[in-house]
Amino acid sequence: MIEISQIQKRYGGSRALDGFSLRVEKGELVGLVGPNGAGKTTLIKILSTLIRADSGVARLAGFDVGADPLAVKRVVGYMPDQPGLYQDMRVREFLEFFTEAFHIPSQRRRAVVDQGLAASGLGARAESFVEELSFGMKQRLFLAKTLLHCPQVLLLDEPATGLDPLARVDLRDQLKHLNQQGITILLSSHILADLQEICSRVALIAEGKNQQDSAGNSIIELRDRDASQPRLYEVGVLQDGERAGQLAGAVAGVKVLHAEPARIVVEISGDAARAAEFLRQLVVGGIAVVRFDRPPATLEQRYREAFGEKPR
Amino acid sequence: MNPMIRKELRQRMRERRGWILPSLYLLTLSAVICFAYYQSATMGARQGWQIGVTLFLTLAYTQLGLLLLMAPIFSAGALTIEKEQRTLPGLLTSLLGPVQIWWGKFAASLMFILLLLVIGTPVLSAVFAFGGVGPWEVGIVAFTTVVILGTISAISLYWSSAFRRSVHATAVSYVTVVLMTVVTLIIFGMAMSRVHAENGWHSIPLKVRAPLYLNPLFFLTSALVPKNQLYPEWITCLGAFVAVAGLCAVLTLRNLRRSGEIS
Repeated sequence: MIEISQIQKRYGGSRALDGFSLRVEKGELVGLVGPNGAGKTTLIKILSTLIRADSGVARLAGFDVGADPLAVKRVVGYMPDQPGLYQDMRVREFLEFFTEAFHIPSQRRRAVVDQGLAASGLGARAESFVEELSFGMKQRLFLAKTLLHCPQVLLLDEPATGLDPLARVDLRDQLKHLNQQGITILLSSHILADLQEICSRVALIAEGKNQQDSAGNSIIELRDRDASQPRLYEVGVLQDGERAGQLAGAVAGVKVLHAEPARIVVEISGDAARAAEFLRQLVVGGIAVVRFDRPPATLEQRYREAFGEKPR
Repeated sequence: MNPMIRKELRQRMRERRGWILPSLYLLTLSAVICFAYYQSATMGARQGWQIGVTLFLTLAYTQLGLLLLMAPIFSAGALTIEKEQRTLPGLLTSLLGPVQIWWGKFAASLMFILLLLVIGTPVLSAVFAFGGVGPWEVGIVAFTTVVILGTISAISLYWSSAFRRSVHATAVSYVTVVLMTVVTLIIFGMAMSRVHAENGWHSIPLKVRAPLYLNPLFFLTSALVPKNQLYPEWITCLGAFVAVAGLCAVLTLRNLRRSGEIS
């Protein structure tokens, strides 16, 4: 649904994008993370037709962003970090204006606006002026505006900036819901916990290029896609961690990564049955297992591996 | 109807200046007309039509002067406000093209100015009571005023597309109005001091007259000649003003197409 290949963009002497590539499949919710100035906003602006790339290819729903911006605008919803709203318009008027701006037929406009108001939970505030809304409500209103023309792809640039925790949860739920409805979402954010919860994959970007983590991946898979890939397991034991490590090292498909007196960390290749078999062998071998689980590799941890500890 | 026009007009009429400026405009116009009537009536016994012509000329120039002061207020902030409120990306990523956005802003600015012209009609009707002025004079003066203000609006919109802040765009728009109204007169005056035009206006070299073709006051004055004398001065001014407005429109559209970079 989104294909970005070797995209480049310069601002004067500095390179904002320097050959970044990414492919997002239909119905995916993919995050985009990187330090400040990595090129996230420039990339999203190019995809939303606001600016032109110097070179490279970007396609959305099969339409070339540079060659056919009008077709792209029809299928894309763009939400910047700060919702630009007309403060002196009423909520309903604001949505009505954008139904016209998106050329929605006049006989459908009222229904589309009502639907947008209902979906955003702003039905009771339809006649309020935008300036009277809280920041979270304004964000919901902007999202409702973004969805008026039923886009197939949503491009969100730091949408949770400035939201309070409850509004953030609300936005996260809305995005999950939209993704479940089949909308492809590319989401740039610094809030890694949010990305971890809702994204299937996260792309790493730095200095306008694909950034690789310590394992050499520029895309972090947050949902298991391939059961044959090795998985990490953490085993809690009663004082005999060293012996547990030796035992584990002898089991086929199990690689010991770390062994402490009360804990070992192993990587097991294969499916869950292989892990169950490993656990059985530990118990049969006389190891007192008190805990056996898969520590999630947090996005924050992976982010630190990719970008280092120092702020940029 | 272009949705931009409806949006702009709705927003303008909600602003406090939406009613304050027309009120001030009408009050000033009425005061000036009363003063002009008093002056001309106390200057001795005069024919009614002479008072009518005096009032009409006073009204025409006062109206132009006031509207020249007001036009940048309506158009110089039209695009910068979208940048300041961060609403421009929303417009640019909608299906509204730069032409529709420009036309919406331009038409809304001009419509407000037309509204001011229309609300000045009752004051103008006082002139008719004295005679000396016909529909042709009223029509050509109104048309010329609209062309001048349309050009000023197009110039102000260009500055609005070139700057990020309304205050800067408005300041530069006023500088442009002063350049066109005052500086062209000064340049003409300075150039005239070096030439000897003994056979009237038409013996003045074109290069000396040229700055005046961009002067709103000269354009209005050239509209007051008899119908058969509109060519060449009024027609040349019309061409010059329309060309400047067209150039500004093209440059504004170019800036709008690039404005995603700075929005």
